[in-house]
Amino acid sequence: MSSEARREPLIEVENLYVYFYTYAGVVKAIEDVSFTIYKGETFCLVGETGCGKTVVSRTLTNIVPPPGRIVKGKVIYHRDGEEVNIIKLSEEELRNIRGKEIAYIIQDPSAALDPLYVVGYQIAETMVDHGTVKDFKEGFGRAVRLLKEVLIPDPERRVKAYPHELSGGMRQRVVISMGLSNEPKLLIADEPTSYLDVTVQAQVLDLLRELKGKKGLTVLLITHDMGVVAEMCERVAVLYAGNIVEVAPVDELFKRPKHPYTVGLLRAVPNPLTEIEKLESIPGTVPNLIKPPSGCRFHPRCPHATEKCRREKPPLIRVGPSHYVRCWLYAGKGEEVSRSE
Amino acid sequence: MADLKRFLVRRAVTFIPTIIGVTLITFIIAFVIPANPARAWAGGIKADPHVVATIVKEYHLNDPWYVQYYFFMKGILTNSIVDPLFNYKVMSYMLARFPITFQLTLFALFFLIVLGIPLGIISALKKDTVIDAFVRVWALTGVSVPIFWLGYIFIYVFFYMLGWITVAGVPYPKVHITGIPIIDALLSGDWTTFAENIKRFILPGFTLGFAGIGIIARLVRNSFLEAINSDYIYFAKMRGLRNRRVFMHALRNALVPVVTVVGLQFGGLLGGAPITETVFGIPGMGRAMVQAIFNMDFPVLIAGTLLAALIFVITNLVVDILYAIIDPRVRF
Repeated sequence: MSSEARREPLIEVENLYVYFYTYAGVVKAIEDVSFTIYKGETFCLVGETGCGKTVVSRTLTNIVPPPGRIVKGKVIYHRDGEEVNIIKLSEEELRNIRGKEIAYIIQDPSAALDPLYVVGYQIAETMVDHGTVKDFKEGFGRAVRLLKEVLIPDPERRVKAYPHELSGGMRQRVVISMGLSNEPKLLIADEPTSYLDVTVQAQVLDLLRELKGKKGLTVLLITHDMGVVAEMCERVAVLYAGNIVEVAPVDELFKRPKHPYTVGLLRAVPNPLTEIEKLESIPGTVPNLIKPPSGCRFHPRCPHATEKCRREKPPLIRVGPSHYVRCWLYAGKGEEVSRSE
Repeated sequence: MADLKRFLVRRAVTFIPTIIGVTLITFIIAFVIPANPARAWAGGIKADPHVVATIVKEYHLNDPWYVQYYFFMKGILTNSIVDPLFNYKVMSYMLARFPITFQLTLFALFFLIVLGIPLGIISALKKDTVIDAFVRVWALTGVSVPIFWLGYIFIYVFFYMLGWITVAGVPYPKVHITGIPIIDALLSGDWTTFAENIKRFILPGFTLGFAGIGIIARLVRNSFLEAINSDYIYFAKMRGLRNRRVFMHALRNALVPVVTVVGLQFGGLLGGAPITETVFGIPGMGRAMVQAIFNMDFPVLIAGTLLAALIFVITNLVVDILYAIIDPRVRF
């Protein structure tokens, strides 16, 4: 693992807190989340629905929807050797980063596209507004090439199609081509396949992997699907109820999961690396984050919970070279650190 | 384009039953009124029985209802029926008054669009503020306040107290192109007539459009809010589009339902015109119809209904075409 040391970070999230100020109360959606995304890697955020994956991804360009607000923490973006704190930037500076240097692909491609404009226009405007093409004419030309790149057949004709004239898989490819249009440094793919048929899912994942190889992209992939994690990622962060409970390289995580939640997650899906008798689910559901459980947020569902887990928040412990876990079970079995990689 | 042609033909065919239906209902209501129109036309209680008999014969008043209906419709459409009271051709009379009503409706429509849409956008952008509450109250007052009351209040304030405007009469420009005074004045550059028309129509137009402005503003507010909270607008922001472009995406989506309602309002405005015209003394089609009701002048009433129904179906057709232009998902 000597190469690890030389890896250059692209994004460093430090002790991030995001709260949603709703009528029902303050939802503590993200608390004390830290991680690093290195240049050129595919980093995965995994967890159940409602655990805060999407919110974390949106803090990277500070576009958390209201009533959500970043309360505390830093998002350091390494921009050509310069360190920029995203949280401190003005709206216009952020606009210049969004879609150009940090681009998104979102879950539901049908809802992501404006139904009243042809897809070519929507791809072109992404480039026109960032000044990467000089006008819409050049933008449409580039859009044709982008559609070809994401393997849409007959791109000259499809560039003039309206979203409703395309299939779900094609719409997702259009959304991917928008994400790639300005050649971003970081591509954030938020559940890019959850709205697609299984066969199309595989195609889209293959496409993403191929494009990543070709363009040297850095990818942040958000998913709840451990199969996708195994197939796509190099490092994984497991998120539970707004806390990162474990961070590890993908092989390590699948072979030696530490946190009881990760263990549970892996028992719930067929594991490609070990044999398991039968799939098990984790009892209970994600807790209400207006009044999160005291101590470790996972304790009400944890088979190993002790009195300490109920009272005190567990520390982050480094249990392996790049393996971090936030659990009292490993207290004393590694070095306590303030933030993970 | 071939689609559009087929659509137009198909729609034009459906016009016929609609118009027959509307005029037939009006005719039957007039027909069942327990009054003797022939005697009323001949001069009332003291009417000469010979004259009454002639009128009954001339206007087929003793024939079955379907013969009468056929006679009236044919007479109106071929412009051969003569008004029993005033001795003019009914259709020519109504067609001469139509441009005035149309002009009034255009003023109302102008206020509807120029005030309703921006007010709606502002109240969506400033949701739950004073301006939003103001629009809400306006919409509520608009639909609750009767036009005639509002009209008299406006006349009292702006004509009697402030003297800002002129009421009654329509100044015509010398040139006759479309027949609509203000448009002819505009086209021929007759600015005095143009200004005079504005002075006379601005208040009736605003009165007529008053209820609609509130309704349109509320509708625009809601559809604009729906648009700006949609995923594609959020995604547009995530793509780092300029604020103006994000706004245009939201606006175009928000206006799709508004087009339909503005079209329907246009028909509704024509319906409201009789009261406004009567209050402001505008010699349009609506006032002629109100007078016709008092005089039991059925030919004028049916001719007016026919014209109103025609305008309504044509407006609907235009709305459908506009709809397909702004929303590509709509097919003919």
